[in-house]
Amino acid sequence: MPLQDHMQLISVDDHVIEPKNLWADRLPKKYLEQGPRIIEMDMSKSHGDEGLSAALLDASRNGKDDEAAKAPRLAEVWSYEGRIYPNIGLNAVAGKKPQEYGMEPTRYSDMLPGCYDIKARIADMDIDGVQAAMCFPSFPRFAGTVFLEHTDGELALLSVQAWNDFILDEWSTYAPGRIIPMIILPLWDPQLAAKEIYRCAAKGAKAITFPENTVSLGLPSFYTDHWDPVFRAAEETQMPLCMHFGSSGKPPITSPEAPMAVMIALFGTNSMDATADLLFSPVFYKFPNLKVALSEGGIGWMPYLLERIDLTWERHRWYQNVNKEVRPSDLFREHIYGCYIDDFEGIARRHQIGLENILWECDYPHSDSNWPNSREYAAKLLVDVPDDEAHKIVELNARKLYNFPRL
Amino acid sequence: MAEKDIDAPDWVDQDLLTKDEAGERLDEEIVLVRERLARLEAGPTGPDSASAIEMVRRRLIAMENVRASLLKTTTH
Repeated sequence: MPLQDHMQLISVDDHVIEPKNLWADRLPKKYLEQGPRIIEMDMSKSHGDEGLSAALLDASRNGKDDEAAKAPRLAEVWSYEGRIYPNIGLNAVAGKKPQEYGMEPTRYSDMLPGCYDIKARIADMDIDGVQAAMCFPSFPRFAGTVFLEHTDGELALLSVQAWNDFILDEWSTYAPGRIIPMIILPLWDPQLAAKEIYRCAAKGAKAITFPENTVSLGLPSFYTDHWDPVFRAAEETQMPLCMHFGSSGKPPITSPEAPMAVMIALFGTNSMDATADLLFSPVFYKFPNLKVALSEGGIGWMPYLLERIDLTWERHRWYQNVNKEVRPSDLFREHIYGCYIDDFEGIARRHQIGLENILWECDYPHSDSNWPNSREYAAKLLVDVPDDEAHKIVELNARKLYNFPRL
Repeated sequence: MAEKDIDAPDWVDQDLLTKDEAGERLDEEIVLVRERLARLEAGPTGPDSASAIEMVRRRLIAMENVRASLLKTTTH
């Protein structure tokens, strides 16, 4: 029985839905109107993104209470600097008629309370057999990139810091040893971002969420010196960069007519792109202790891609601006970690990936998680894996990477 | 195939567990765990089995409590 009772499951990729008052409780008074806040809207009267934004703002400014009381179905959405973000960490509803999103939550009261309430979250983790979890943002997007859209830089920085303080002071302190504190960065300024890393490290942060690709966000690439202050700070504070698939804002959409199923099936290719970029870039040579986790990217593809990258390096490195000394697959095993939910192929080929480079994740509270059966599913996947190897995959690798020892 | 395509950029969906879906999952799991507990309690006794029974029973109670809280908040 490879997964034994004494082995604690650590999920390195769960998600928090920000409580309504996260920013209101932390921003200065002058920013309460422009900072992120929840407003209400009658979704049945909206017809698309532009109309939705205008109508929501109007509703929030004019006689909201009376109209809200009469509305048949009000959705809660985020407003930030006057822009409307019609998913409160829930399903997008822009442009959909109510019957098309009828089963999906549009209000906090529709959600499983563990999405946003830490006491309920810990109870849900208990029945799921999960000891500890790291939580990615929702409204700010997986790598906090929503704040790149700011017009007021001071408000954006305060909003980033407010999210981090919520995680560090509230979300991860309610039950010691149960939440691995992750932070977001002010990505528009690498010096500010480095400063935020040091500030949060002093408060106990253990990981940083960072885009899998920065170019699609209008920012310089991993091949430039632009991110050196961030990578240096991450290395010095021993905090891994967690690159969640989709955090580049560039999903693998193959054609306008392709159903969402195509994109979901191809999510891992974003992590493949990030792997190739990182291994052929100067990043790990400049920062030899930097670690990167590819959140929700899966692992089954890793043996193939590493073989392909090594072959490319062997044949083509001499005439390209890439490192000539270190085999990319060796570099991979020193720096990159794969994360999986369901991945039989990856577990079967775990030794080709590197036993120390595999992390388990749950993805609660997204519906593709196996809650409340995560432990049972994890056990099924590991049924042919020796005990010591299973223990590394579900717990020990994460404790080491995130410097998160048992209490 | 759906009758009509959804006219929305739905790739940003996060597809969260709703109370309804979570409740359905809990209902199924509670039935299974009650059966498992009954089998354990009917089996041979010993220190290991007592410990296993206690763990299953505690998880069952926790699930029942969460299920009850969901019903309470849904009806309000």
